Formats: sequence, structure tokens, C-alpha cells
Amino acid sequence: MQALHLRDARFKYKGSTGWALDGVSLDVEKGEFVTILGPNGSGKSTICLMSNGLVPHALPGDLEGTAEVFGLEVRSHPVAELATKVGIVFQEPESQLFSMSVEEEVAFGPENLAIPREEIRERVEWALEIVGMKGYNDRAPFSLSGGQKQRVAIAAALSMRPEMLVLDEPAYALDPLGRAELYTVLRDLKTRHGMTILLAERDAEEASVFSDRIALMSEGKIIEVGTPKAMLRNPERLRSIGLEPPQLAAVASLLNAELGRGDLSFLSVDEAESTISKLLAARARRGSV
Amino acid sequence: MSVFVDLYTEGKTFLHRTDPRVKIIAVLLLSLLALVVRDLYHLLILLAFIFLLLLLGKATLAKTYFALKMVLRVMVMIMILWPFFNPGGAPVLLSYGMIRITQPGIMGGIGNAIRILCLATVWYILMFTTTQRDIVRGLVKLGLRFDLGLTLSIALRFLPTFGATMESIKDAQRARGLEFDKGSLIKRSKNYVAVLVPTIVSALRTADTLSLALQSRAYGARADRTYLRELKMKGSDFVALALVLGAFVIPTVARFILKVPV
Amino acid sequence: MIPQSSPREEREFFVLAEGIKYVYEGGVEAIGGVDIRIRKGEYIAIVGGNGSGKTTLAKNLNGLLRPTSGRVEIAGRSAAGMTVAELAKFVGYAFQNPDHQLFSSTVEEEVRFGPKSLGYTDSEVTKKVEHALEVMDLQGVRDSPPLTLSLSYRRRVSIASVIAMDPQVIILDEPTTGLDAKDIDLLMQYIDVLNREGHTLILITHDMRLVAGHAKRVLVMAAGRILLDSDPKGSFSDLDLIRQSNLEPPPVTLLAHRLSRFGILSNIFSPEELVSAIAQKIRGDR
Repeated sequence: MQALHLRDARFKYKGSTGWALDGVSLDVEKGEFVTILGPNGSGKSTICLMSNGLVPHALPGDLEGTAEVFGLEVRSHPVAELATKVGIVFQEPESQLFSMSVEEEVAFGPENLAIPREEIRERVEWALEIVGMKGYNDRAPFSLSGGQKQRVAIAAALSMRPEMLVLDEPAYALDPLGRAELYTVLRDLKTRHGMTILLAERDAEEASVFSDRIALMSEGKIIEVGTPKAMLRNPERLRSIGLEPPQLAAVASLLNAELGRGDLSFLSVDEAESTISKLLAARARRGSV
Repeated sequence: MSVFVDLYTEGKTFLHRTDPRVKIIAVLLLSLLALVVRDLYHLLILLAFIFLLLLLGKATLAKTYFALKMVLRVMVMIMILWPFFNPGGAPVLLSYGMIRITQPGIMGGIGNAIRILCLATVWYILMFTTTQRDIVRGLVKLGLRFDLGLTLSIALRFLPTFGATMESIKDAQRARGLEFDKGSLIKRSKNYVAVLVPTIVSALRTADTLSLALQSRAYGARADRTYLRELKMKGSDFVALALVLGAFVIPTVARFILKVPV
Repeated sequence: MIPQSSPREEREFFVLAEGIKYVYEGGVEAIGGVDIRIRKGEYIAIVGGNGSGKTTLAKNLNGLLRPTSGRVEIAGRSAAGMTVAELAKFVGYAFQNPDHQLFSSTVEEEVRFGPKSLGYTDSEVTKKVEHALEVMDLQGVRDSPPLTLSLSYRRRVSIASVIAMDPQVIILDEPTTGLDAKDIDLLMQYIDVLNREGHTLILITHDMRLVAGHAKRVLVMAAGRILLDSDPKGSFSDLDLIRQSNLEPPPVTLLAHRLSRFGILSNIFSPEELVSAIAQKIRGDR
């Protein structure tokens, strides 16, 4: 059973003329970290909203094709049920936190499910610990930084013990520090807790380092799916859909062209340093002969 | 803006620790009491009792004055105007044409001013000894429907946020040459459109995301619901409740049933 | 201690801020002793993370905030004696969230609003509006309601409504947040044109990649102080400084630093430059 199974999914929002999703097929396996990379309007948000049923139940429209989450047809199961399997984090930190304290926010989900009080307490502490916000129980949301707010939003989704976490451009409103904190939490969730993660992003930099697979999306269609290395080998493809390729991918591609090779590729600064140092050291050795 | 709504001050006094339900009931009963009691001296005793509660809650003079500033102005107005509109009774102290100032008129003005002070102070005590969270929770436990309580707490939570957004919008429009403190009333009202439209749009957008967030956390999934933080009445809460009930019931019965002038 | 500028020097600078301190109600010091001198026509970026004071500083330059101590002079006049509306003729401010400014029924009305408020005559207003619409390439949507347009367009409308007031200095607060790479390039092209036309530009951002290709002078801020005031290349050479301000050096710059032992310069910020430098070294050209 896959976490997410889309086959030729098409969706048109009510009152809209174009198809937000125009024949999308995507499978996300349990435990995977998949990033959907695409510009504004490409449909990546719609896929996120579909994974817990907000599309089509809260945001009505025409849904065609197959859309299943952990084996459940999205069409025929209410959001409240899918919410126990899929947690979602939106891009605006301010408007998804509605409680007067961090603790209330994180407890809200399990409270709605009538989980016994002791277990709620355990889940709240567990979730806050994972996102690094332990001890912030009585703080008010508006007193937190953007990065902290987003981490509380993640905790609020985690306390429902979902099997998949979906994040729609979570770093949108964050500064570099907030972004870094956020991605650290996501990496931990995947490596230490085996959480399935689906991320929608416009910025390829971090995605390329953390994802198992990247799906490129443009105008309602998935153009290609593959490993980060495979996807970023051709920066032109990203540019053609309006995205800026990660700088290091651009460096690899340009260096390949410059040196007449096709094999250089690196995704992290460490990798790049190591690969390029070897080249430069080899040249220095040859030069001194 | 948040100063206006969130008057809560940290503290560990007896009042802070009292169950919010008892405090809410006490505030309602004491407010009613202020309206029931008619004798001026008894009103002063009530006021003294309320001030005692203020001290019990360790209220600071500065904060209390700041919160009750408006009330004091209203009190002065009442004391001055009431006699003019209540010329009945004797003895007459001043008579000039249509104007008649009588002693009962003056006493009535003072009495009502004290009533207003009692009411305002007792609500202030509730606000500064109880967090907004606990007030809402107390109301829900007393029988307010959960969704109404949620609406109230969401409104309170977003008040400072919308206040800040509105300030930011005012700044943005000021930077375009809009002035909010000059010009005729009509012009100033038109200027406020430039602030209201973006504020309302922002609020609606927030409401949209909020609605999706609530649903994503299974809000409304079941008819029953657990609550993480429980409110439990302690011994001291029952004592306080008994005292408040006594303080309310005795004068009320005395006035309305026993017809004793209270 | 930066020496006080002489009266003659002061006339050279369009924007002059000396010893600016700003303390918020409640005692938080957002800016602690900042001096800035900006000449007409400069293209400056103020960079720093959240809480660095960059936005507070910018708002002190157009009167939205008044310094707790220190003085601000715009076009030779003391800002303290001018209202925000008067200062708006000299210093325009495009806010980060365009939706905080847009409220009219058409783009044209929106752009018209600023110059009209400032009291220009009808014909002057029309001229300024047309120019602003042209510079931001908005003629095609002049009759559309601004709130129905995409973010990229809404940003341009908000900037156009500032341009229409014809200020010499234009402050742009995080103009590229939320935009796709393609739209960022497009917007920056329009913004560059403003500088070429003679406007003084102050860009506020925390995206170092943006600074690299456009601004000519960078002020790095952290904790209410200016840590560095130099050209872009200079600002990229001190990594510790960049990190101290909660900024992220572009990966290319990080990589260049790591390869510095091979003789690669560390103030590189574009992939092309870096590859060119590496290729040179590998081929052994000098």
C-alpha cells in the first residue's frame, strides 16, 4: 500500500476554467521524502490539499481519476478520517495557529478525536520534543518567531500521529534561520521516525539535499520524477518551467560543459568541495611534473 | 489593541488560583448586587469589599488607573448630569428657572457613579486575575457550547494580530500620502476605506486558511470531545463560591422578599 | 567614531542619518547607533535576518518611525520637521505585502491614489501615472482589479503606485518574496531600470542571491547595527559576518571559500564565475 497513489488525476476548482491538475500520476511510498518542485500555479498545492481530502471536500470541484491515500479513496472518505492518517502544514505561519497557547494548539487535534487525556498529554510532549519546542507549552502563538510558529504547526499535525506529513511551501515566509530550523526538523522526522514526507516547494536548494525523489511540476502536469541527482543534471529543464536550479547543480552542469565531461554532479557543498578539490589537486600534481 | 483586551497580570494570589467558573459567577452576582443595593452607605461598603478584592489580587495602582481611566470620566459625568435630569424629591438645594437641584438628585448621581465603579472594577478584577484561556474554558464548562467558546477564543487570539495588520496597513497608506488626523470628518472617513479594505481582505484570507486548518485537525469529527486541561474545584473554591452566593442572596432576599430597605 | 559631516558634505548626500537610535515601546532597542550617508542615484541593499533592524531603519528614513535619538536629513532638510506625507514626495516605500496597500477597483485608480493624495494637479497626476504604468509594464492590466491579479503583478502595481508619487528615493521591502525565479528576474529588471532612470534605490532583503547581481552597495545589519558597508563583492568575502547576521551565504560563495586554498577567490557569487575560475585553474591558465 502506498502513502499516496495518484493515477491520471484531474481536478478543476469550482468556478475555475482551467484544470489545476491535468492528468497527474504519482506514487509516494511509505517512508519516502518526496518533493514536488514547481512554480506558482503549477498544481503542487492542489496535490497537497488533496492528500487529506480538503480537495474535494472543503474546496469543491470536479475530481477525475484515481486519488488514494493509504488505500483510501479521497473522494469517499471525509477529511476528519483522512486527517488521522495525513497531517498538513500550510505556508502561512500566522493563519494556521488559532489557539491561545502552544499546548492548546498541539492538543487540539487529539482532543477532537476524544483521545483520553493522559495520552493527549504524552502526544503533546512527544510532538513538541520532536520539533524542538519543548517547554513552550504556555507561550502564545503571536509571541513566536516565524520559524517557531511553523514548528508548532508541525507539532500540531504530528500529535494526531499521522503516517504522512504534507507541507505546502512551509518555508515561504521564513528567513534563512527559520528555513534551516525547519529543514532540520523534517530531516529528523524522516531519518529517526521514518515519517513519510510530501513537500511542495518553489526553491530547489534544500529539496535537492533532503529528498529521496523529486517530482517536477508545471501547469498541472508532472513533467518528470526521479532522484535529485537525476533531476538536477539538466538545469535547463528547471529553467524552462520557471524555476532557478540549485546553484551547485548549475556549477556541475557548467563545469561539465567547460571540461567536456558529463559525469560531474554534486548536491551538497561538501560533495562539491571534495569532487572539485580532487580535480584541482590532480592538475596541480600534473603541473608540477 | 492587545493592551485593551488582555489585561492579565501574572500572579499567585488567592484570586489568581481560584477556579475561573467561581470568578465568573462571582462577577455576575456582584454586578447584580451593585444594581440591587440602593442605600448609599451599603453601596460604599460593597465598593470597599471590591477594593479589598483588588488588594487581594495584588493589583498595581498604575495598571488599575490605566484600565479604569475611562470609567472615572464617566463617573464624573454622571455625578454632574444626574441631578439635572432627576429634579424630584426634597430638600431642594438650588432652583433657577427650569433647573432644580435636590439632595436626592445629588445622592442619586453619586450612587450611580459608585455603581458604575463597582461594576467596572469587578470585571477588571476578573480580567487581570484570569487568563483569556481560562475565561473561555470557564464559560464552556459552565455550559457555553464548545463551538461558541472556540469562536470566542479564536477572536481573542487574532485581535492583536489584526490590530498589528491594521497598523501596518495604515503605515503603508501613510507612505502614500494619506493622512488620518487631518481634514473634515467626511474626508477622514473616506481615507479609512483605504485601511478597511485591505484589513478585511487580509482577515478573510486568514479565515480561509484557518478553516482548512481546523478541518485538517479533525474538528467536528465526533460529537464528544476530550479536554487536556481540566478545571477542578478545590475546597477553597467552594468556600469562595459559598461566600459570594451568601453575599448576593442575603441582601437580595432582604430587599425583595423581606422588603427591608437595603 | 565616524566624524560628523561638514555642512558642504551634507549637501552631497540626499539621505543622511546620524546616530540613529530607535527604541520600541517596552524598551526593546531595535537600532543602536547607526550612521548612513546616501547620495542621489545610489543602488543600495540593506541585508540582515529577521530582527536585524533593517525594516525599522528603513521606516526611520521616511518618517513612519521617528528616531528616539539622532537625526535624519532628507534632501538637506531635517526629516523631523516634515510629516510622512511631505516626506513621501522624497522617499517612497513599497511594502513587503502588496495586499496591505491595494484597495482600488482598477490598477489605474490604485496608481493614481498616491499622487492625488500628494496634491498634484490632474495633468501632473496623469503624466506620473502613465509613466509609472509604463515603467512597470502594467498598461495591459490598467483596468483590472488589482486584487484579482497574480502576486507578481500585484507587486508591480504596489511599486508603480509608489513610483507615481515620483520620489527620488524608493525603498523596496523584500520585493521578491514569494515569486518564482522567472518573475524575480523580471521584477529585478524593472527595478534596475528605475536606478538607471536616476532613482536612488534601497532594497531590503535577506536573500543574498538577490544582492549579488543588482545592488552596487551593501549594508549588512545585525542586532540593530551596521556590521559592514561595502560593495557586494566585499560583503561576500566575510562568511562569519554573514552568518552573524542570520543570513545564508549562497552555496557558490561557500564553495568558493572552501576552494580558496587552490587560489580561487572567495568573493564569488555566481555559478558562471566560479566555473570560469575553476576551469582556469584546471587548464593552468596563469
